[in-house]
This record gives sequence, structure tokens and C-alpha cells, in this order.
Amino acid sequence: MSLIAAAQVSKWYGQVIGLNDVTLSVPPGITGLLGPNGAGKSTFMKLVTGQLKPSKGRITVLGEPIWQNPDLYFRIGFCPEQDAFYERMTGLEWVTALVRLNGGGETAAIEAAKRALDMVDLSSAAHKKIGAYSKGMRQRVKMAQALAHEPELLILDEPLSGMDPIARRKTITLIREWGRSGRSVIVSSHILHEIEAMTANILLINQGRILAEGDVHQIRDLIDKHPHTVHIRAEQPRALAREFLASDHVLSLRFEADAVIVQTGKPDLFYAQLTALAASNDLGIIHEVTSPDDNLQAVFQYLVK
Amino acid sequence: MAASPANRRPSFVSSVLRIFDLSLSEMLWSRRSVFLALLVGGPILLAVVSRVVWMFGPNESLRINGGAVSGASIFGLMIWLLYVRFIVPILGVFYGTSLIADEVEDRTITYLFTRPIQRGAVLVGKYLAYLACTVLLILPSVMVVFFLMVPVGGGSIAQMFPSLLADLGMLAAGLAAYGAVFAWVGARVKRPLVAGLVFVLGWEPAVLLFPGYLKRATVAYYLQGLVPHAMPQDSTMSLLLQTFADMPGILPSLVALVVLTAGALWFAARTVASREYVLEQ
Repeated sequence: MSLIAAAQVSKWYGQVIGLNDVTLSVPPGITGLLGPNGAGKSTFMKLVTGQLKPSKGRITVLGEPIWQNPDLYFRIGFCPEQDAFYERMTGLEWVTALVRLNGGGETAAIEAAKRALDMVDLSSAAHKKIGAYSKGMRQRVKMAQALAHEPELLILDEPLSGMDPIARRKTITLIREWGRSGRSVIVSSHILHEIEAMTANILLINQGRILAEGDVHQIRDLIDKHPHTVHIRAEQPRALAREFLASDHVLSLRFEADAVIVQTGKPDLFYAQLTALAASNDLGIIHEVTSPDDNLQAVFQYLVK
Repeated sequence: MAASPANRRPSFVSSVLRIFDLSLSEMLWSRRSVFLALLVGGPILLAVVSRVVWMFGPNESLRINGGAVSGASIFGLMIWLLYVRFIVPILGVFYGTSLIADEVEDRTITYLFTRPIQRGAVLVGKYLAYLACTVLLILPSVMVVFFLMVPVGGGSIAQMFPSLLADLGMLAAGLAAYGAVFAWVGARVKRPLVAGLVFVLGWEPAVLLFPGYLKRATVAYYLQGLVPHAMPQDSTMSLLLQTFADMPGILPSLVALVVLTAGALWFAARTVASREYVLEQ
């Protein structure tokens, strides 16, 4: 059974389209929803959490329609993107109050809240007011309220944003463990390596459409099939360019003030050659090597083409 | 990992109480409450001034336009003019319209709407928190004014006490009705505060002046049927109101207010349940 099934789902906000004719099936396990800002990730998240109703089409979560189906929230935990809280409450009070909305008694709710805060490493700040939390702590307390009732499906909208590297790593580990324990997670991000660190199964979304779904390595392969652009700022860009022109894998060259911009069909070979040139120092110092193609936007541009 | 904290969702009533619990302190300590506490402090200030004037004045009773007026009459006047016609509707508008709007504006509504409780329970729980909050704001104010004003001119607190209880009940009924109506307006309308203020400061005072059935489309018409004090005759407006007075009895007023409150709450809950809330990013 698929975790989430969408059949020709569209969502409009007046004249603006948020999601455009999406049909997909999300399998159990961890799935990453990857897309740049404004791609439609949050709209998709809001649809699968029943906050919005599809303008067209049908969406089911865990086999049931989610819109106006409060029973289903017992099986779902949602960590929203927005940085919004009851600021005057402590982390423990807030998580407890939200867990109580899932039923059960006060004591069980407090225990569950404490356990969840411990899982996100916030036990020491449990009695501190949320208003005094750092951005990373606020992200983690949001995570805690989502997983405190131990849902079958955890839906996380940009959960790593604002976290410091250590908290980021711990959260990634937590998500992976959650998946390993037989439960499912849908996690959105606009950063490819964040998603790659959590799962190989991704959904690529841009401009309200699902562009690709499947293994992240297939997406990487798709990237590698397209010409790869590398920007090299160097002491002698023209000398470097002469070297590159002799190589088969270099497709084109152009110059900027103190840089050469190369398009290559085989990035691995090109980078190996570049590393050798830099190490030899025969053609002057190479100041900086950047690739605009490493960002996600480039992937989407390739896929749209 | 330990067992899940609960294995079945709470009932509607239980959900309402949990939302009430979550919302009450947030509501009580909000900036809105501080501002409105100043508003309900106005009559207290007025009562203190009147009491001081009486204590240090040359007369045994207060005089308005040359005529002696008892403290109990001034208290009745304050109930009519300050509480029934102004403070109660204003509290209803400011709190009622914001029950859901505040959560939407603060973007915390997501946490409540992604829990296994009915959206209607969220509205009703917040409405009860509003009622508790406004009652806690207004009742102390009325009681202080009562104890300050009634003894002026030799009035008996003991004798007037049943009337105070009637006042408190009537004000609570007014808060309940206005709150429910504006909870519906808040759930339905895009700029609920403007619509609410137009209703209480424009529509209600205007239609109460005219004879006919239009006044039945107000909360004030039924609420004034419960006021235990005589309607003041302090201005042209009051004289007009007296002229066209078509005061419903206590029982019809009570029934109408209960129906109005329950109906408005039901419609508000339905609206909240079926409406999508698109939060600003």
C-alpha cells in the first residue's frame, strides 16, 4: 500500500497555481521532497496534512482521504515550516499541551513530551520558555511535538532550517532511525545533500509539478548526462583554457575578467585534470573553482529542458 | 520506545476542555487583555472619582444637573451606558473576532488543526476561554463599581445585592451572545474587526432608535430586556430609545440570547470545519 497517493491533484490560490496536476504514489519509508523555494513543497505538505483541500483531484494518506478526517491525525505527526509558537509556554508545557490533544491523560502526555524532548536533545531546556529558545532549539521543539505521540507517518517541512551543524546531524540520524524502526517519513528541503543524507528516495518538485520521483542516484545521473559548467578564477585563465581545449571532454570555453568558464560533458575527468593542473602549479595559481551546476536550481533547469 | 501516550482520540467535550486549557492563559496574558483591562478600568476610575466627590462634597448625595441622584441610580446608569452599550459589545468584538484569526495570524493554527480533534472543538474551546477571560475581566470591574457607588447617598449594599447578581448574570449572557456572534463573523469574514465594530457601533445603536422588527436583528435588543435597572433618560438618544421602547420580557430575551449564542456558535464551528486557512509565509 502506498503511504500517500495523489491522483491529478491541483491546487490554486485564486489565480496562482500552487500544485499542478500531480499524480504520484509515495511508498513507505523515508521520502525526500526536494525543490527550490516556491516550488510547491509547502502546498504539497499542506495538502497531505489536510490543511488544504485539493482544488481538483484526490489525495489519500495511509489509505484514507485526509481532508476533514481528524481521526487520521492520530497516525500522523507534522512539523510545519513556520517559526510559530505559544512563546510564553515552556517547551515541556507546549509539547504536553499538544500531546494532550491526541487523547490520553495528563501524566501520559507529560511522559510522552519528556521522551520527545529527550529525543531531540532538548531535555535540559524543557523548562525554559520557548520565547527564549534559539532558532535551532525552536526547530527541535517543533520536531518534538510532531513525534511525541509516535505517529506512523512523520511529515517534516524543512526541519533542518536554522539548525547548527551538530543539531542537523542529530536530526538526520533521528529521521533515519525513525525510518529504520518501520515508520515512514516525508521530509522536504531545498538542499539536495540534506535529503541525500536521509534517504535515497526522492520526489523532485518545481513550479507546482513533480518532475521526477525515485532514487536520488538516478537524479545524479541525469545531472551528469548534461553539460556541466565550471567557473575557474585563476592567475592565468588563458593558459588554463589552452590546456582544456586539448581535451575531448571540454565542450566550450568563455572568459570573464580573471576567470575561464568551461562546459564539460565529463565532469569527473575534467575535475581530475583540473586537480592535476592545480597541483603542478605550472599554469599559475588557481584561486577558486565553483560550479553553478551544483545547486538544485540547475538540476531543475536540466529536467525542465 | 515506550508505548504511545493514547490509543484513541479524545471526545468532543474532552477536546473542547483541552483547547480551553491551552488557550485560557494565552488569552489572559495577551496584549489585547491588557488593553481591554484598561477599558474596563474606566468605570472604576469614574466610580472612584464620584466617591471622592461625594465624600468631600458639601451634599449628602451626588447631584447631576442640580438634582440629587443616589449611588444606586448612578450604578444603574453606568451598567446601561458603559457596560451594556459599550464595554460588553467591544469585548465581544475584539475577542470574538480573533478566536481563530489570532491563531491564523500567529500561524499556530497548524498545530491545532493537525491533531485528532474536530475543528469545531477548537473553536468552542477557544470560545469558552474567551468567555472565562472576559468574565474575569468584567465582573471584578462591576463589583468594584457596585461597592463604590451604591453606598453613595446612603444606599444599602445588602438590599441592592440581588440586583448586582442579576447584573453579573446579564453581562455574562451578553458576553456569551456577542462572543458567539463575533466568533462566527471572525470565522466567515475577511476583515472581521471592521465588520464587528460597524455592527456594534453603527448598526445596533441605529436600528434600536427606530420602531419595527429590525431591532430584533441585534444582540442589544435582547440584552436590554435583561437589564434590571431603568433605562436612563440622560440624553436625546435615550429619550428616543424610551419613546420607541419595545422591551422584550426576561424570558423571551433569555431564550433569544440562548438561541442566538448556540446558533452562532454552531455556524461558526461549521465554517471553521469547512474553511481552508492559507497561512502567510
